[in-house]
This record gives sequence, structure tokens and C-alpha cells, in this order.
Amino acid sequence: MRLKLVLFAWAAVCSLLGVSAHGQSYAITNARIVTVSGPTIEKGTVVVRNGLIDSVGSNVTAPPDARVFDGTGLTVYPGFFDTLTSVGLQAPALPQRQGGGGGGAAATQQSAQSSNSNYPAGLRPELVVWDDLRAGDSTFEINRNAGFTTAVTVGRTGIFNGQSAVINLAGDTASAITIKSPFAEHVSFTTIGGTYPGSLLGTFSALRQMLYDARRLQEIEKMYAADPRGLRRPEADRSLEALIPVLNRQVPIVFNANREIEIVRALDLAKEFNLRAFIAGGQEAWKVADRLKAQDVPVLLSLNFPKRTASASADADPESIDLLRLRAETPKTAAKLQQAGVKFAFQSGGATSLADFFANAGKTVENGLARDAAIRAMTLSSAELLGVGDRLGSIEKGKIANLAVVRGELFGKDRFVSTVFVDGRPFEIKEPARTPQGGRGPAIGGQQPAIAQIGGNYSITINVPGQTLTGTLALVQQAAIVTGTLQTQLGTSPIKDGKATPEGFTFSASVQLGGSTVDIFVKGAVAGNNISGTAELPQGVVPFTGTRNP
Amino acid sequence: MKTQRIQILSASLLVCIVAFAAAAQTRNEVLIKNATVMTAARGTLENTDILIRDGKIARIGKNLTVGAGARTIDATGKFVTPGIVDCHSHTMMDAVNEGSLAVTSMTRIRDVLNPTDIAIYRALAGGVTVANLLHGSANPIGGQNTTVKFKWGRPVEEFPIADAPPGIKFALGENPKRTNFPPQPGQPFRYPRTRMGTMEVIRDAFNRARDYKQSWDDFRAGKTKVPPRRDMELEPLVEVLEGKRLVHAHGYRSDEHLNLMLIADEFGFRVATLQHGLEAYKIAPEIAKRGTGVSIFTDSWGYKLEAYDAIPYNAYILWKNGVNVSINSDSDERMRRLNLDAAKTMKYGGVPEEDALKMITLNPAKQLGIDKRTGSIEQGKDADIVIWTGHPFSAFSRVETTMIEGDVYFDRTKDAQMRAETQKERESLEKLDVNRAPGSGGTPPPVPAEKRRGERDEAEYGEDGGQR
Repeated sequence: MRLKLVLFAWAAVCSLLGVSAHGQSYAITNARIVTVSGPTIEKGTVVVRNGLIDSVGSNVTAPPDARVFDGTGLTVYPGFFDTLTSVGLQAPALPQRQGGGGGGAAATQQSAQSSNSNYPAGLRPELVVWDDLRAGDSTFEINRNAGFTTAVTVGRTGIFNGQSAVINLAGDTASAITIKSPFAEHVSFTTIGGTYPGSLLGTFSALRQMLYDARRLQEIEKMYAADPRGLRRPEADRSLEALIPVLNRQVPIVFNANREIEIVRALDLAKEFNLRAFIAGGQEAWKVADRLKAQDVPVLLSLNFPKRTASASADADPESIDLLRLRAETPKTAAKLQQAGVKFAFQSGGATSLADFFANAGKTVENGLARDAAIRAMTLSSAELLGVGDRLGSIEKGKIANLAVVRGELFGKDRFVSTVFVDGRPFEIKEPARTPQGGRGPAIGGQQPAIAQIGGNYSITINVPGQTLTGTLALVQQAAIVTGTLQTQLGTSPIKDGKATPEGFTFSASVQLGGSTVDIFVKGAVAGNNISGTAELPQGVVPFTGTRNP
Repeated sequence: MKTQRIQILSASLLVCIVAFAAAAQTRNEVLIKNATVMTAARGTLENTDILIRDGKIARIGKNLTVGAGARTIDATGKFVTPGIVDCHSHTMMDAVNEGSLAVTSMTRIRDVLNPTDIAIYRALAGGVTVANLLHGSANPIGGQNTTVKFKWGRPVEEFPIADAPPGIKFALGENPKRTNFPPQPGQPFRYPRTRMGTMEVIRDAFNRARDYKQSWDDFRAGKTKVPPRRDMELEPLVEVLEGKRLVHAHGYRSDEHLNLMLIADEFGFRVATLQHGLEAYKIAPEIAKRGTGVSIFTDSWGYKLEAYDAIPYNAYILWKNGVNVSINSDSDERMRRLNLDAAKTMKYGGVPEEDALKMITLNPAKQLGIDKRTGSIEQGKDADIVIWTGHPFSAFSRVETTMIEGDVYFDRTKDAQMRAETQKERESLEKLDVNRAPGSGGTPPPVPAEKRRGERDEAEYGEDGGQR
């Protein structure tokens, strides 16, 4: 009895100090081990100690102090990478807007002042994702349960999305989970609301001017450092200073680009300024494989393959042949990049279901990619492209102990991730409850989250003063994550940063309004078949109501 | 064994070389036989052959011959014209207006070209080979234009004509003062709000450009230590001041176009083209004196307040005064029938046939500074050539073949084959799982285009949400 108490107290102290993960050692025995860096071990043992891989091999025996996981019938992979996510990030706070007559430039100026940047929100490359990272975010568990241990995380708004971080998907503080920050500056070819640049034309000229200005700032700072006398001091411009390491190729720049022409534009810009570029998305990257290879630009390839979601209608226009082709061709991209010698790693591309990640990785194999190459694209290739291949991405002695223990076929429907190790700390995953509604991603440890159930299609009416917008809101809910589309007369916009809360839901979306793109922020709740809430537009806050479509 | 293999190898190599040579010759030489050739420079030539070599017009004459491998097109009974040059277009652009500022000279159409725009192929089917892709008319000073050849299917970098002089869009009148575009509620109006404000914005920009040029001159002369900031807004305006960049100025009212030319006089440059200029006939001598070109619609009389004084005889009067006139489309749809727009100038006033044809070929090529390489059928020029089933000014004639630099980019026979192939491809693609509608729980289907509110026929309304 006394011993038990002591043990209990010791365990409590250990967990308080956070040493239980690191001091403890573990051994996965009798498992098939896909090391990725070397040959697969058909039956062997991996020993984890102090957060690192202590030993691996067929002749390795579990040390006496190790907690042993019987790996019979299981396969151990290096922990999987998702090379582009927004995990651990709060929905970005919208800039403060003045009510009534202010707006526009005034609002921009106000938010610019609040950050001391000379540039409007959306054109601030100095934003560092690390500052907003929340280690305990619920998205970590969802990702981990699917076998992911490492991710690139960055926001998705603005032209400059900001500087991303490579993080491990478990740990108590932002410092503890960070592998590398910054990894890269991320750029979207989009516009910002209410001010220049308000079109794709302006986006490119604004980027170009900022890069020229940053290049000049670097030169002048050098001149000034050498001898300040007789020179006006250069302005300490944090936005431009953030671009100097990008211009010097110390920090890569990731362009979000799926269409061929978007990728070409990114490659042109990278060439013009000699940037170390990545493409993220890359649906049509195969069409420009030669240029990607020639410019040595890797692709963070999205596994969120396009498929038709719209229900059939006799009324609807036929889909364009380009779209039909795109859906057919996208799963072949990985194999074609491999063949052309273009480096790539997989990412989830904002997919609503992480199960799709593995199913679609399997499709790349069906479409000609070697199975080993597909596994490499979500492990060692990812690590190498992120610049952490010396510590992550394969099962080798001395590397960080990030592991995914999998039962069943990795790319098959029977895949079940039983245990994930992150920094040597095991997370055991409960069997999914076999409910008929299943199929959208792995279960989340059987817990019922205390959040509203809001998924569905709704016909909505938005009461903008002087005009009534009607449309359809399609909400797809996966635990606390909400995705989908908002369709009105203004067009169809994907839902961004969607979250389900105990009260209802929140999301933001970019819509075309009067020739420019504006961000709206939507908050709402569902009661039975009724939906209601508010949309925050540049003009102010407007209410919306609607009903669920059968 | 080894020698035998080498023999086989060298034999197959020889076959390859021969095959390659034949293919190269076929590609390099094309003979168009026995056509009625409307040269747009040296009259109309009956029963004439055109020999194309390496993408250039090598010879024009009778009974020309080519090597056995060369492609020969029998054009008996058919008409041949130069490729049509559209001096005002917004085709293949993923963005048209950067309307946030009054001066957006830093923007470049080159950045937003989209070579997959189907309007390119349709324009080729109407005989258009060259287009001047312009920024919209939202700003007194808009973005930098790009002159392209419609090399449909080729990578985007092959579209711009490398040696075409650079240009820039200016705009006067209703559009830059945003008369018909009230801002979003809560947003301030954008300056300028009047026609005089528009002129002030332009004059101010050139004054700033002069100062900017001075700052670089001072630096280069060693008068200042720190290099000035490269200003992407003012650099192109300095080029205008130096006569290196063409100004294409949208405007309807002649008083405004005249005002702009006076500003240009003041700053010492020439306006390259007045775009639209539907009442340019009122100031024809002033335009002619400056060597400025005018690029017009042949109709659209009175279609908006600014166009109220437009008359059918505009092209004729300008032509009679010695002004270089071109006819443009400003529309993906009208672009396909510029031949008929040219024909209208013969009806209203009686412009001679060849001069009418020049208004959609050589004249716009001159306005864009590319007449050394295209715009007419003359020896040494690019083989940008259209073969028509009949006289190009007849409503019953169709384009049969459109070539750019000797390569065929539209062919009516191939087009028919392609349609059948595409239909087959569509049927097989639609059977794939990824393209099938979900059995249940799908998102609602998109509203059909014709039922979508707020979406209007571009052909009818043109750029900038209804303002041409």
C-alpha cells in the first residue's frame, strides 16, 4: 500500500517535471520496421530512450527498464509529416473596423499602426507563426491519431501568410514542440481587402516593389554600418527586413500555387529575384516538371485531390472539360514529378478528412508512384525538404523518436494507427467505435467533444443594407474543424479557419465585392433545422438566417 | 555480332536523320498556292502563291515551287489576308483593373497572362493573330500593356512579342472618375472625381516622374551617395518621358483627348494611340499633326453619354485627314468579327478596300510598333496569315486556317475532328468516380450561368463591369 502511494507520488512528480516522457524508455518488439533510410526489417525491435531512437534492428532486444509494446502484426513507420497545415493556430483576429464613415484606408491605417508596420495587413512578411502557436490545440490530437507527428504550420490569410514553423505534434509549450522556426516565408497570390493591391495585377507589383525595397534596405544598412557619418539613417522597417533573409536565400519562400499558370508565375518571380522557392499545392505541377527541375524548386504536393462534390442536377451547366481532366490527372502528378526528378513531399492541402491523405497517397501508388517513394514523400523526403532530414524522417539510431505504429495496410481502409510516438512519448489510440456514421477520419479516442453539431447544407439569406443576398452554406464538420463553402451571388468561397464551438461555429471567407476581395467573418449557431448568425463585412455587421436543406 | 549491331544502329540512325530532315523541311517550308492575296500593303494579287520558310514570308509570286517534303495548301478560290491585329483587348488576362489607386503604372499585364483562356482559340478562328492586352480604364494612369501573338497551346512566355515596344494604358472620362462605380458603403470616394481631377493626376504623376529621373541623374553623376529607391510606379513614366514607352489613352470625348495631347506636348512626348475616340473626328487635324494614332469601334454610336457624339463616319474622316486609324474589339466576342467591323468603314464614307483592311492589320501594327514584323503580307515579315473561304469582308466568309509564324494555330477541318475527340474524351472522363456526382449529401449544384444574377454577358458590357 505504502509502495503504491510512493509510486503514485513519484509518477505525479515525474509528470509535473515532464520527465516521464524523456527518462522512460520504450521498446516496440516483433514489429515490421519500415526504416525508410535503409531496408525494411521484417521482424525487429525499436528502442526509444530519452526522446530519441536508441537502437533499431532485428537482433536488438528490449532493455530491462523499457516498457514493451508488442508489435506482432504491426508495422512501425517514421512518424508522418504533413508539410502544410495550420495546426495550433487560432483563427486570426480581424483588423478593427471603424463603424460608419471611417473604413477603407482609415481602417488599414489603424491596423497598420497597431503593428507599427508600414504595410497593410496581408503584406506583412514579418509575421511569425510561432508567436500565435498554441501547443495544446485540439487539432494536434486529431493529427496525431492519424499517425502524423510533425507538421509545417502557417496561417492561410494575406499575400504574405507569414513565416511558418516545423513543429512536433505533442508537447506542452510552443518552445517544446518547435523543430524549426522560421522554416519559410509563405505567399498566396491573393488580394487584400479595401486597399492596394486589390487585384492580382497589384499583388505582383506590390511583391516586386517590396522585394526591390528590401534589397535596397540591405545595401543601405551595409553602407550605414560601415560609416554612418554623412548618411541619413535607414528606416528600421521590420516588414522589409523580414524579406532580406528571403532575398539572401537563407529562408525559402513557399508559393501556394495549384494551376499551371500560377506555378509558372511563382517560378518567374523566383527567377527574377533568385529566391529559394517551393511550390505548395502543385495539382498541375506535372505540366511544368521540366522548369521545376531546372530551377530546383521542390513541391509540397497536396493530397487533397479534387473530386466532384456537387449533386446531380438536370439544370446545371455541364462541367468544363478542363475540370474533368484536372480531377482525372491530379492523382498522377506525384509519379510524373518523381519521373522528372522533381523533389516533392506530401501535405494534406486542407483536406476535410485526414483519412483522405492516406487513401490519396495510395492513389498516387495506383497511378505509378513506387510505394517506397510514396512513403518517403510523407517521411524522409518531407524531413529533407524542410531541412530537418538529419534528425527526423527515418528510423535510425540517434534521430528524434517520432514513430507511427500501424496495423493493417497503410493506404487501405483497414489502416489503424495504434500508437504514435512524438519526441519519444507514446500516445496510445483507442479502437474507433464502429458507428454507422464513421468514415470521416479516425476516431478521436472515443471522447464526445462538447461542441455543437452543425454540419449540413443550408439555404441562407444575408440582409445587407439595401440588398438581400441569398445563397447556400455547406458546412462539413470534423470534430472542432469546420470546412465547406459559402455560395452567394458574389460567387463561391471556401470556408477558412472554420471552427465548431460549444455555442455554434465561426469561420471566415474571402468574397468578391465590387471588384475587390474582402474578408468576411461569420459567426452562427444551428438550432434544429434553423441556422442564424452574423456576418462581419467591411460595411459592418449584418445578420443572416436560413434553413437546412433536406 | 558486334559489327552487325553497329551496322543496324547506324542504319537506324540514318533512317532517323532522314526522317528528321524530312520533318524539319515540312515544318520549315509551307506553300500557299493560287490564292487571292490581300496584302494590306501592295494591293490585292490574284492567283498568287506565298512561300513560307522558317516562319517568315520568303516569296510572293506566281508558280512558286517547293521541295518534295514541304506542305502545300491549295487555296484556289480562297482569300488570304495578314493576321488581324486587335489594338485593344483584355483577352487572356486573369485581372483587368487594379482600381485601388488612381495611378497604377507599376502593374504589368505580363504578370497575369493566362494562356488557357478559350477566347484565344476563338479569336484565332476569327483570324486574329496579335492583340494589344491593356489594363482596364479604372485609373487615369493604368498598368503596362503587353502585345502578344496568340500562340494557343504554347507556354505563356512565348506569347509576348519580345521586340514590341512597351506601352501603358491611360484613361480619361467617366471610368477613371468612377462615375458609375460608387464605393462600398463606408468607403471613401477615390480621387479624382472630375475630369479636371483626372488631368491633374496625370500632370502630377509626370512631375513626380521628372523629379524621380533627376534623383537618379544626380546619383549617377556622383552628386548623391545613396542610390535612390527604385520606384516601380515612376520608372515606366520616365520611359514615357524618354519616348521609350507608348501611351494608349482610353477616352471618348475629344476635348479630353485634346487635353491629354496638350499635356504630352508640355512634357515632350507623343501619345501613341487614342483608344475608342468615338468623336475623334472633331479633332482630326490636331491628331494628324502629332502623328498620334486612333483606335476605334466602327459603331457603338451613342451607347453611353460619353459616346453621344459618335458618328458612323468617324473612321472615314480620320482617314481622310491622314490619321492612322485602327479598329479594335475591346471584347472577346467582337474580336472574332473584326473583319466585318472593317467592312463598315467602306459603307460609311467609302474608305477604299485596302485601307479598310489596313485598319485591322497594318495600321494597328504600326500603332503598336510591330509593323516591321507583322501586319501585312510582304516578303521578310512573319508569316502571320489567314486563309478565308471567301472575301473577308463578306458575312458569309469563314476563316479556314490561321497561321502564326508559319505554324497553324487554327484549322477548320482539324477543329471538327477535335470536337469529336473532345466529346469522346468527355464521355470517358464523366464515367470516372472523381467526376461522378455523389449519390447523396453532395453540395448543391452551381446555378446555371444564365440564371446567375449579376453575371452579365461580357460581349455586351465589356471590361470593368459594363464600361468600355
